[in-house]
Amino acid sequence: MQVDRSFIREVEERSGQRFGACFHCMACSGGCPVSDIMDYLPNQIVRMMQLGLRKEVLESRAIWVCVGCYSCVSQCPNRIHIPYMMDALRELALEEGVKIGEPDIWTFHREFLKQVDKRGRVYELEFMARYKLSTMSLFSDMGSGMKMLLNGRLELFPHTVKKLHEVRKIREVCYGKK
Amino acid sequence: MEKNEKKSDLEATPHPRIYYYPGCSLMSTARDLGDSLFQMARLVGSWLEELNDWNCCGASPAHSVNQNYALLLAGRNLVLAERQGIRDLFVICPSCFVRLRTAEKTLIAEPDKNDLLEEAVGKRYQGSVRLRFFLEVGSASQMNVFREAVINPLKGLKGVLYFGCLLTRPEWITGFDVLPYEDELRSFVEALGVETLDWGYGKQCCGAHLALTKPDHVDTLVDRIRDHARRVGANCMISFCPLCQVNMELRGKNSEPLPVFYVSELIGMACRLPRTEKWIRKHLVDPRELLAEHNLL
Repeated sequence: MQVDRSFIREVEERSGQRFGACFHCMACSGGCPVSDIMDYLPNQIVRMMQLGLRKEVLESRAIWVCVGCYSCVSQCPNRIHIPYMMDALRELALEEGVKIGEPDIWTFHREFLKQVDKRGRVYELEFMARYKLSTMSLFSDMGSGMKMLLNGRLELFPHTVKKLHEVRKIREVCYGKK
Repeated sequence: MEKNEKKSDLEATPHPRIYYYPGCSLMSTARDLGDSLFQMARLVGSWLEELNDWNCCGASPAHSVNQNYALLLAGRNLVLAERQGIRDLFVICPSCFVRLRTAEKTLIAEPDKNDLLEEAVGKRYQGSVRLRFFLEVGSASQMNVFREAVINPLKGLKGVLYFGCLLTRPEWITGFDVLPYEDELRSFVEALGVETLDWGYGKQCCGAHLALTKPDHVDTLVDRIRDHARRVGANCMISFCPLCQVNMELRGKNSEPLPVFYVSELIGMACRLPRTEKWIRKHLVDPRELLAEHNLL
């Protein structure tokens, strides 16, 4: 059997991690607060990369569910930085245009970054509204949202960075000209 | 009015300005944290001065989908601080702090990333800014100012310290020596008169941004954490992160809600700083009943 090693090498390069050090002790998975809603556990993702299962990994839900709380990093005896691995995997999934495992979470990130692109800062009110519109969940959390608004915990008006062109230029440098 | 006040105060006193990076949530969901911080700074005779023209650090979304984007967004703030001659930049939100710290380390260690930053904002990061977490404002001598200013010890509050994920983790990024740092925070909270309780859930993740995308799962995470706080006998929680605070008050279905205070709010109450009434009203879980019960208002 021939195992495709190009995938794991690519992820190693992008994330700066060496997965050969992983001995699958499962400390990362055991302490993961979101493992319940992952389709594959963090160490299973490592194993799948070792086996060259590119499509399965990039289309997994697990890579989107990871919140980057770093509890796996603190527990890994080999200091493998799982959140950096997840970052690299999501980046690859988007670049390759594969089917996204958790479309709502991707929508969340995308809407957030649209705010950054528009004003350099996040205007939470518009961000929430847009997220809810795109995911058809407009009425969930309406009550607590109103409460926050009335308590003055949501900003009524947006703020914009003065040198917005610098923020836009950052986007251009990272994503290429559109 | 506040602007005039600022000017005269600066002319009148030699006290240093504390430059800070607020982060997006300080202006909105964590407004109570912001308000109480201003009062806290006044207490030590300093003025908080915002990093001019700061931008979003990218939070979770940027590094989740494009690592360079996250790096450069945070990097622009570092360059701004350098341009503005700021030596110590205090960061309020633990998540922003980790983003800025990560960028700082990467930009110094990898010159090609610094090239990218130069391409985007026209300047390289030289590494002259010292990033500090806001609680370091009070470290050493100034903590005593707070201790001495306590006129309303918060007797009756039994709290658990809820550090959240990123406050001390991972230590090679935050630069904190975890245990001494946590001990220091605990003894500080105790100096305000709050009884702190031992529990095992201080660093369990609150679910972060999944609160919006996976609310059901975040409910179970919050329930578990809050349930343990209740079990050790806490009547409030003490949080350091804007996102943790909101999630803890907003989510959870099967455990009875608990008020979640920021440490700066506790300082405000213990030292009877002005406008305390105003910020405690902003809580989603109203703490006033608890406070009234112990005559702390």
